[in-house]
Amino acid sequence: MAERKSLIKIKPKRYKDGEIVKVSFMVMHPMDTGMGKDKKTKKIIPAKYINSVKFVYNGKEITHMNVWESLSVNPVFTIYMKVNGKGKLVVTYTDNTGEVHEKSKKIKPRG
Amino acid sequence: MQRRDFFKKLGTATAIAAVVPTMSFAAGDSKPTGPNKMDYQTALNAITGGKTPVKSDKVKLKTPEIAENGAVVPVTVTVDSPMTPSNYVKAIHILNGKNSNARCIDVFLTPANGKAMFSTRIKLGGTQNVTAVVELSDGTFLIASQSVKVTIGGCG
Repeated sequence: MAERKSLIKIKPKRYKDGEIVKVSFMVMHPMDTGMGKDKKTKKIIPAKYINSVKFVYNGKEITHMNVWESLSVNPVFTIYMKVNGKGKLVVTYTDNTGEVHEKSKKIKPRG
Repeated sequence: MQRRDFFKKLGTATAIAAVVPTMSFAAGDSKPTGPNKMDYQTALNAITGGKTPVKSDKVKLKTPEIAENGAVVPVTVTVDSPMTPSNYVKAIHILNGKNSNARCIDVFLTPANGKAMFSTRIKLGGTQNVTAVVELSDGTFLIASQSVKVTIGGCG
């Protein structure tokens, strides 16, 4: 399977220890419902959607999500997170065909 | 009589098939698989477990009133909560009214989030209500809903 592009954005860019920051996880994913038809071949596109997303920060799970097919193509998941020292934020998703994707970002509080 | 028996068996088979997926969704942590069909009321019951959710001003659901494109409807849910270990928002569920699967997403939060907010983009098949059901750590359910007018449907 082709590599999927994903991105973790943190706002604001510079943050201090103990600050609450906004974390967005974006991923390029078709999110097919299993009901749409291909316009050229007139065949039903099989369902392929993300069904679980996990945010793990320094080995501790912050948030997990159960997802169904009603989310948009190339979904975005935005939550808040409390910065608690240096470390790594790892976001993992699995989809209904068994595809697993992982993306990580270093957390570096300043000041 | 044979024909009758056949339909009886067919009826029970479909009844079992209809019950089994809802049973598997009743457990909050189970991962969804396959194309699903669920109407709004069964989805709401599966989340709350029979409790009636209370309408509250603490839950703020922000969606556009008129969405030009149903394929991309931004939804933001903010809950007024201190997010301390003794009092925090356990889960935010987003539901739609008329899509073939009423459940969009379940978000399970922890006190490490600091702020109870979740934002995403959903697909809507037509003009309908979008509902946010919020579960607090003491077991109560809050609800907020808003209707969204969709000019072009976005499913399929």
